[in-house]
Amino acid sequence: MSKANKDNTCKALMWKLLRKHISPSQLVGFSVASLIGLTIVILAVQFHQDVRPVFNDEESFIRKDYLIITRKVSTVGTFLGSNNEFSPKAIADIEAQPWCRKVGKFSSNDYSLYATLAMGGTGQSMGTMMFFESIPTEFIDVKDSDWKFDPSRPEVPVIMSRDYLSLYNFGFAASRGLPQISEGIVSKVPIQFTLRGNGNNETLKGRIVGFSNRLNTIVVPDEFMRWSNQRYGSGVERNPSRLIVEVNSPGDVKMQKYFDEHGYQVAGDKMQQGKAQYFLNLIVTIVIIVGIIISLLSFFVLMLSIYLLLQKNTKKLQDLLLLGYSPSQVSKTYINMVMAINAVVLVVAIIIMLLARASYMPMLKALGTTGGTVIIAIVVAVIIMLLITTGNIVAIKRKINSLWIHSA
Amino acid sequence: MNNITLHNTLPAVFAGRGDTGSEIWLRDVTFEKGKRYLISAESGTGKSSLCSYIYGYRTDYSGCFAFDGRNIKQLTVAEWCQVRTHHIAYLAQDMRLFAELTAMENIMLKNSITNYKTKQQIITMMEQLGIGEKVDSPVAKLSIGQQQRVAIVRTLCQPCDFILLDEPVSHLDDVNNSIVAQMVTKEAETLGAGIISTSVGNNVRINVDKEFKL
Repeated sequence: MSKANKDNTCKALMWKLLRKHISPSQLVGFSVASLIGLTIVILAVQFHQDVRPVFNDEESFIRKDYLIITRKVSTVGTFLGSNNEFSPKAIADIEAQPWCRKVGKFSSNDYSLYATLAMGGTGQSMGTMMFFESIPTEFIDVKDSDWKFDPSRPEVPVIMSRDYLSLYNFGFAASRGLPQISEGIVSKVPIQFTLRGNGNNETLKGRIVGFSNRLNTIVVPDEFMRWSNQRYGSGVERNPSRLIVEVNSPGDVKMQKYFDEHGYQVAGDKMQQGKAQYFLNLIVTIVIIVGIIISLLSFFVLMLSIYLLLQKNTKKLQDLLLLGYSPSQVSKTYINMVMAINAVVLVVAIIIMLLARASYMPMLKALGTTGGTVIIAIVVAVIIMLLITTGNIVAIKRKINSLWIHSA
Repeated sequence: MNNITLHNTLPAVFAGRGDTGSEIWLRDVTFEKGKRYLISAESGTGKSSLCSYIYGYRTDYSGCFAFDGRNIKQLTVAEWCQVRTHHIAYLAQDMRLFAELTAMENIMLKNSITNYKTKQQIITMMEQLGIGEKVDSPVAKLSIGQQQRVAIVRTLCQPCDFILLDEPVSHLDDVNNSIVAQMVTKEAETLGAGIISTSVGNNVRINVDKEFKL
């Protein structure tokens, strides 16, 4: 008989001997509990991964802790002609608040502005009246080389609200049967801005350097705004109607109260979003903890089951050791069993997670996200299972080693 | 392994009894490879304890057991596995067969880790002991005498320096006693191994070099 055959005989005999007292119902109980625990944990991790992009702006050029505030526009105010500007006193008051780090003013163009978009290759062009705003450069995180204005070689970099592109793509283009255009394409389209005022008239080249979800406007560099207002503007200084504020924490309750009292509005619901994200994290954490508790309980069910099994088979295990089998050879039968069960649980949990993900993803896609990576959840699943399996193996080995010396 | 020595050994349960008159306990004794020993004892004098100490699965004793001068309490688990598969062939008094396996499966469980005998050699030995037709019978269905013979065949399925037999023929008739004696002696001669056999009266019919009273 070859050595391989003998090894197989050996394994088969050991299994025949040691499978006695294995309780299928206990193992099924463990498997189900372990499956539920593991699935909950990795589904929560996956859901968090998938939902998180909904809350993130994915904007690199403007940080999260900046809020844009305006005054509320009331019907009465409109008729009475009250303005919605921030007085220097109001700005100083905001700057004095403990939650405020820095305040930046929005400046607008004080001249007439006309933009022309060349429709590549067709010789046609599209034009519209429009406006510019600017905020201090320190609030914008774009590479210096992109975000500057040189009067000797005038070219205007622009950050545009992503909503404008959405309006075109999902509103105008869809209804008129025009092709939808991506951000990449728009950035390459040559734009020309015609500035007119003060008896002057000039056409400059423009370039879109980025899109923003949070700046609901068209932003140009501060230095360009100063240069152009000086050249084409009326020269009248106006108070800003919008402010950009750097705050310590976008979800601060005191800040919310201050804004409510003064009738200020935060653009883009940044604060609500901060709270929603906080609750998402909280709920995901709770769900993960519940999953981990179930996993731990299932781990103990398996441990108890194995201890009971080893206890019932104590004499056989001792007799095998007396025949010259090493504790590791004897443990192997049970270790293989545990590894097989855990591997099946791992695979099934990942499959259930992927199926569940496939069923909720269409809803998330409607919110405009393509979801996160599944790698992290799978890695988490593998790590948890490795930990559980290692715990099982250590316990089995310790128990079998303890049988080495018989009590008298 | 060339010798097994006992230095002033005594089972923990006998502690404080003073000199028991034993030729083993509290004495210096050496078992040499190639020689045959009989340890005759009355029931309850620690015969099976002696075997379990030598085979390393009980340590409730005082004094020192040594293999080639090395205290056996220093042996690692791996070394004990080596002893049990290559140096000492042991037949326990209670045989320690697995009731749910057949006679052959019981023997193969040992033989598959030592790779010592061929299946044919095992069948021949079983036939010599008159249990040739019981090869595939579950051990639970065999008589005690038949079980003892299965256990003897299993014991001989390994290379060794000593054959340690705890009451090997307690359930056998004279004919089978002689066959066992012949088989064990032949195996020991082939290997140059020593034999240490215990008995409470029904001795295996082996010519011994020395007899100890326990």
